[in-house]
Amino acid sequence: MSATTVGVAGVGVFVPGFADIAAWLTGQASEGAIRPTGELYPKRLRRRASTFSRALADVYAETTRSLDDDESVSLVIGSSIGEANTMIDLLDQMWREETALSPTRFAMSVHNAAAGMVTIATANTGFATSLGADFDTPAMALIEACGLVIERGQAAVVVCGDEPVPEKLVPPNHGWDMLAAGLLLVPVERAVHGTLSMPARAPASVPAPGLAAGLARNPQAGMLDLVDAIVRGRSGTVALDRGRGCGWTVAFERAAD
Amino acid sequence: MIRSLPITAFSLVNSLGVGDDAVAAGLARREAGLRPVAGAFDLPFETVVGAVDDTGFSELDGDLADWSTRSARIAARLIVEIEDPIRRARERWGDGRCAVIMGTSTAGADRTEAAYRQFIATGALPEDYDLWRHHTYGAVLHVIRELTGMRGPAYMLSTACTSSAKPLASAARLIASGAIDAALVGGIDTLCAMTLMGFHALGALDTSACRPFAADRAGISIGEGGAVMLLERAGDARVVLEGVGETSDAYHVSAPHPQGDGARRAMLAAIQAAEVLPSDIDFINAHGTGTRLNDAAEAMAIEAVCGTDVPVVSTKGYTGHTLGAAGATEAVLTAIGLERGEVPASVGATTVDEKIRIHVAANGATGRYRRAISNSFAFGGNNVSVLLRVP
Repeated sequence: MSATTVGVAGVGVFVPGFADIAAWLTGQASEGAIRPTGELYPKRLRRRASTFSRALADVYAETTRSLDDDESVSLVIGSSIGEANTMIDLLDQMWREETALSPTRFAMSVHNAAAGMVTIATANTGFATSLGADFDTPAMALIEACGLVIERGQAAVVVCGDEPVPEKLVPPNHGWDMLAAGLLLVPVERAVHGTLSMPARAPASVPAPGLAAGLARNPQAGMLDLVDAIVRGRSGTVALDRGRGCGWTVAFERAAD
Repeated sequence: MIRSLPITAFSLVNSLGVGDDAVAAGLARREAGLRPVAGAFDLPFETVVGAVDDTGFSELDGDLADWSTRSARIAARLIVEIEDPIRRARERWGDGRCAVIMGTSTAGADRTEAAYRQFIATGALPEDYDLWRHHTYGAVLHVIRELTGMRGPAYMLSTACTSSAKPLASAARLIASGAIDAALVGGIDTLCAMTLMGFHALGALDTSACRPFAADRAGISIGEGGAVMLLERAGDARVVLEGVGETSDAYHVSAPHPQGDGARRAMLAAIQAAEVLPSDIDFINAHGTGTRLNDAAEAMAIEAVCGTDVPVVSTKGYTGHTLGAAGATEAVLTAIGLERGEVPASVGATTVDEKIRIHVAANGATGRYRRAISNSFAFGGNNVSVLLRVP
């Protein structure tokens, strides 16, 4: 293993209709799991949280289930459009309704709103960040998280997600469905599912799973593909951009049985 | 993190001008770049802003013509300022070993606002509007990658007002891990109506020029601009990055910890990373927004870490709060202060709040400075302190 390899110790997904990673893997859809709960957040925060922020929180909670101490875990949130729907709501307030902006919604419109709320919910006074790189967001979030694990020798959670893009901002049929997926990365010696290399530009060897078109168009679909490969134990190189970014991939090697 | 990474080049654009010489001249003249907001934003209130005079900024052309947003033009102008060092870094390390790690809070919000306003009026977006070329983080990243030829990892950190301070830490980590050898880091933010309306709604916007740490301070003034730095594994340093501290308040989404606990820990983490003592810090470029809560909390944090003698300046009285560009802008202003041995006068702090016990350098200071800290704090309780040293 090179110095740029990290272990995987937890996974999580939010895909509307699937209650958790197990349901996703077995295709067990349920009507009760359409909307994220955001149960990680205290009630007062949950009331203010967008659907998107709740989805990220749900994935964080599932991903870190095995973590003893999430007060010091590093947190990396990746998203291409962040709280774009909140931004459109605010623009409607300003120019369509011509009312004063909601200060709370404005504060919640920043890209790192979810990261901030997760740190509050988990009393995490350590590292948190939020980033985007369009269709390369999963690869870049993994690079940032790998750098943290390698530097600090401690766990890092990376959660990538995007809510549906505001329909008004894109041509018809260019939208996508919400999804979020996450990994708990740890030093190699603590790996549970296997190991990941630092993302690089290399040909993919693991076929992407079949996704509904709306999910496949989500800029974070590559993260879902990676989680899928990890939980199914498919070693190899996984594409992180579904062919729409700069060609970043990541090599996964499953843990020995 | 590798100790002592050289920053081999830097540049900045803001309401004081283009490039470090122009901006330093503005600082020396104590020339605030804040003016009443122009009518374009159609605001139902008065305020002042630090706007960039972009009359000399060319539209992007050729393959980048369709990407020519205000943010992209600022990015292009910043790159022109340091194109030779960028070329040398690519030649030395290889294109694929050079990353682009930037920060923003607004991305292309100004362009989307204009497009959406047309949508409300006519039911259709402008024909040439494209979310991916005009708004998203990838849009400016694409322009920077094409203009610099850097082909390593490229991403935009977006943690509100710490967005462009964090890239220094990210790049340093990736250099330490062996993933890259150099990175163009920094940030860009442009003025937009939603930001002005939002801070007004929060009751955080001053109607006149901001007065950080002053007894009569009444809020922030918004600015715009950008700054970039070239961080390399080795090279001739203009200044040296010695440490970065990154913490979370875990307290409130939009209010600082009242005693500045996260800010205090960020400064201490930067000092520990640099393996120096608080007494080694010669001056501090504070986040210093001009709001009552932020300045009070930061002052307590500075006092707890460095005491009450170290000179402290807020440069937001010159540039306004450039939000997602503030971290990089103020790191570069700190570097300029170190190079020139000058702490700029903390404009607006004519009468310092008597509850603030730190040494606010209302009239500036000069000396043989070796190390300084630049602070950035943000919504979400996100805190970053950057420690720089002269070579």
